[in-house]
Amino acid sequence: MSETLRQSLDLELFWEYRAVLFGGLLFNAGIFACAAAAALALGLCAALLRVSLARPLRWVGTVYVELFRNAPDYVMLVWVHFVLPLLLGVALRTRIEFHPFLSAVVALGLVYSGYFAETFRAGIQSIPKGNIEAGRAVGMSERLILSRITLPQVVRRMVPEALNIFVSLFKATTIVSLIAVPDLMYRVSMVTQQEMRPLPLYTGAALTYFVVIFVVATLLRWASERWRRTVLV
Amino acid sequence: MNEAPCIRVVDVHKQFGPLEVLKGVSFDVHRASVVSMIGASGSGKSTLLRCINYLEVPSAGAIYIEGESLGFREDGSGRRSTRPLREINRMRRDLGVVFQQFNLWPHMTVLGNIIEAPIRVLGLPRKDALERADECLRTVRLSDKANEYPARLSGGQQQRAAIARALAMRPKVMLFDEPTSSLDPELTDEVLNVMRELARAGTTMIVVTHEMDFAREVSDRVLFLHDGLIDEEGSPEQVFTAPRSERCRQFLAKYLK
Repeated sequence: MSETLRQSLDLELFWEYRAVLFGGLLFNAGIFACAAAAALALGLCAALLRVSLARPLRWVGTVYVELFRNAPDYVMLVWVHFVLPLLLGVALRTRIEFHPFLSAVVALGLVYSGYFAETFRAGIQSIPKGNIEAGRAVGMSERLILSRITLPQVVRRMVPEALNIFVSLFKATTIVSLIAVPDLMYRVSMVTQQEMRPLPLYTGAALTYFVVIFVVATLLRWASERWRRTVLV
Repeated sequence: MNEAPCIRVVDVHKQFGPLEVLKGVSFDVHRASVVSMIGASGSGKSTLLRCINYLEVPSAGAIYIEGESLGFREDGSGRRSTRPLREINRMRRDLGVVFQQFNLWPHMTVLGNIIEAPIRVLGLPRKDALERADECLRTVRLSDKANEYPARLSGGQQQRAAIARALAMRPKVMLFDEPTSSLDPELTDEVLNVMRELARAGTTMIVVTHEMDFAREVSDRVLFLHDGLIDEEGSPEQVFTAPRSERCRQFLAKYLK
């Protein structure tokens, strides 16, 4: 028993492979960054559909949000990687394959755009109507009102919730090893097969993810708080 | 005094579902004059003010700003076509609005609130917008608060900042929608004093208010609204001392005690 404990906490082996494993972590970060950008952009579009004045557009937005928000990350990942290319291939009469990195970004981007859409929508609807009327009264166009009055306030209000979603998204990037993206977890598994010593490697991976996510999220929370506080409504 | 009125309101109706809030209201506002609208809550006076700059679209009737219709275009033969929103936006610049709830943009400083529309809507260079803002802030005596965020100001200061924001567009007419109704009594005067000065300087104003002393002192013309119609109108002396309408007399009796 104490041998197990000693092995779990002996991170020497983990340290030995640090360069390879750090390279894997970069994959996590890269997929996170791309998927986050896609999720924010798509989420904003879906939210704008959901608050639009045209009923059919609202309906499209609602279907989009519910579809992706209720899809498990893992299922979406497998579907996007294995099924979507086949469907596209049939439609375009050619053979299509997605690079695993692309599949990962698309799948996670779609799922998390559902969450961001809801956050954006709640934010947009929380802006007092008078704020928007004041914009109309000075002759601002609806687009100008959105970009100068609504969104700047929405972004400030949604920061805490967005940080939570970012943390979930970063954690979700660890499932991409299932479609052979060589991220940290994938490389840990590879090294484990060679070294036959899973305990220190998995413990090291767990600690690494914890430290990275905790440190980055705390820094961002701290940095955003001051800026956010200018909206004291 | 034969020039075209600055604003003409012609037979404006407004319906919210089955509820008819305005039942055909007409009046003119001449340049450099002050028109006050008084009346009980629910009489339609705020709706009427909001119709004047199309924050509410009238169900029927027309608003003319210096002879030009706000809601539709008329060609030579008198055919009407609905005006696109872009043109309505352009014409709205000529009408400054001050709201009961101030409606300052909370993520911008007072100065940011004032220069926003001159820069983004009128396309003024920043330097010119800042000069304008400076002047407007002096008018409302708020120069020392230029760099504060609205949440750090008192209600009276916020409303004066909102007045400055409207003035910075150099509107032809200022519309005030119960500008002191959400202020504590001791903050009301600082806003009314600014409005008195604007009136004295020849600003054309339409004011919805419950401040009867103010309406009496500043207005050139007073409209008493009741149940979606103008029930009494005339000079302040006439409306306040010798109202012909029984309802107006009852209303004033309650207010003037």
